[in-house]
Amino acid sequence: MTATAAPTTFPRAWRTARVTPLAELLAPGRIAATAVRLGLQVFLVTCLWRALYAGTHSSAGLVKEQAVSYAVLAALATRIRGLDRGAGRDTVIQHIQYGTIVYWFLRPVPPQRYYLYRALGDQAYGFAWAAVAYALCRLTGVLQAPASAGAGAAFAVSLLLGQIVLYYLTLLIDLLCFWTIQNNSALLILQFAQNLLSGAYAPLWFFPGWFVAMSAVLPFQSTLNVPLSLYIGRIPLSDLPAQLAVQAVWVLLLALLTRLLWRRAAARVVSQGG
Amino acid sequence: MDSVSRFFAAWRVARRIIALTFRARLEYRAEFLMNVGIGIVWQVSIIVFATVLLGRFPGMGGWPSDAVLLIAAMRMLSHGLFVLFFGRVYFLSLFVQEGFVDGFLLRPMPVHRQVQLAYFPTNAIGDLLVGVSMFTGAVWSIDLDWTLPRIGYVIAGLLGGMLMEAAIFTSLSSLHLRFPAAQAWSIWTEELLATFGNYPLKILPGVISGAFTFLLPLAFIAYFPAAVLTGHTSGLGVPAAVAAAAPLIALAAYVGSRYLWKWSLRHYTGVNG
Repeated sequence: MTATAAPTTFPRAWRTARVTPLAELLAPGRIAATAVRLGLQVFLVTCLWRALYAGTHSSAGLVKEQAVSYAVLAALATRIRGLDRGAGRDTVIQHIQYGTIVYWFLRPVPPQRYYLYRALGDQAYGFAWAAVAYALCRLTGVLQAPASAGAGAAFAVSLLLGQIVLYYLTLLIDLLCFWTIQNNSALLILQFAQNLLSGAYAPLWFFPGWFVAMSAVLPFQSTLNVPLSLYIGRIPLSDLPAQLAVQAVWVLLLALLTRLLWRRAAARVVSQGG
Repeated sequence: MDSVSRFFAAWRVARRIIALTFRARLEYRAEFLMNVGIGIVWQVSIIVFATVLLGRFPGMGGWPSDAVLLIAAMRMLSHGLFVLFFGRVYFLSLFVQEGFVDGFLLRPMPVHRQVQLAYFPTNAIGDLLVGVSMFTGAVWSIDLDWTLPRIGYVIAGLLGGMLMEAAIFTSLSSLHLRFPAAQAWSIWTEELLATFGNYPLKILPGVISGAFTFLLPLAFIAYFPAAVLTGHTSGLGVPAAVAAAAPLIALAAYVGSRYLWKWSLRHYTGVNG
């Protein structure tokens, strides 16, 4: 009898990350539904913003093409985190309520790493959808090209940092349920706040000054508004270092906070009643 | 026991269950408050979006701002009523996945009623707080002569909006009984209602406004009743009489959706097969 070698880090990460995407790929109906929803969403958003601009050329420093591109990119970006992990019974809140969270702490993979791998898999799958949709939108002329090659590169870097900020924000709320037992409401509030304050509903440039000032001191605008504004050229490249620095600071702060919370959370988990 | 006594007995049981589920919600105080907060945040996010668009792009489709605000206010108040009275169907897929529906089938109470009584919708408190405030503001600011028939119609319009939203989500939840993953469609539909339900649909191309009238009938929730109230009945895509009959059509749609739900329940398959 030969002992089976324990998988090394990479295969372990790969096997964990692909769980949700595999579940999706095994359900053609879900894939078709995702394609229909995404296609319709882009079409509707394009129609809405074109209609709004029918009587004006420019608003809040954005011309029609910029506003449409911003709105369509926002619709695609929200697709990146659109997977329903709850259906697979693998959200933190579900494990806490079922008592199965303890297994996360008994496995060879540390819970924080398992969480990271699952999130990476989910986001990579969502990103694949967004990338295909982006290519189609560019081909059909729905989306304009980045304002410049530099703006395109800045958008890519900023989007990556924005997704990391979003990952930590979601993790933060998930970690809170080690203390609150219930966090469904907090998660939903985060989702609404994220959509509103990041620019997913409408470009932040349209909002009043106080709203923009408030958004500036919160992490949400880093997730979407900054990369999208770089793409359409509403934030000039000269502002890039400052914007990236703000995003990096949020990443650092949230990483430190969540690291601390993981450690505290581990101390609260009990097995078989303690 | 005659049917009237049975009806009142059923309501007494329902009232007791509602009181118990409300107390159960109070067990987690922070969660309770945050749940109220969800309703508020959700409605406020829609208000902010609507006012931003109204501020930046006035005169949507020839509608003055106060009339557009009436559409948004009616939709939000009817949404609050929907969440309070019918909102549980939105989460039916969770009940299916958790096996609750199997338990409901064994109890001596209609399954649909048990679904609606499964928990107290705390978020409806927040939804209604904002909805009532916004509706009061919209009615106050719009220059309309509030005669008795108009007051009657606005109430009918609000109830119709509630019933149409209930009809849409009851129909979608019929799918949940067979395919729990259909929850994604409900989420998406709610996003569509939030994005497109608050403005005159005539600003959109005909194919889209037609789809939002005949395919996903969100025009009947607030757009048509507000158009009738404010006299903006041209370019609706349907005759004015049809727009005026929106509350009745909503009632018919809800009754239809309940028949669909009943039929789907007969074909229900639990997650364990």
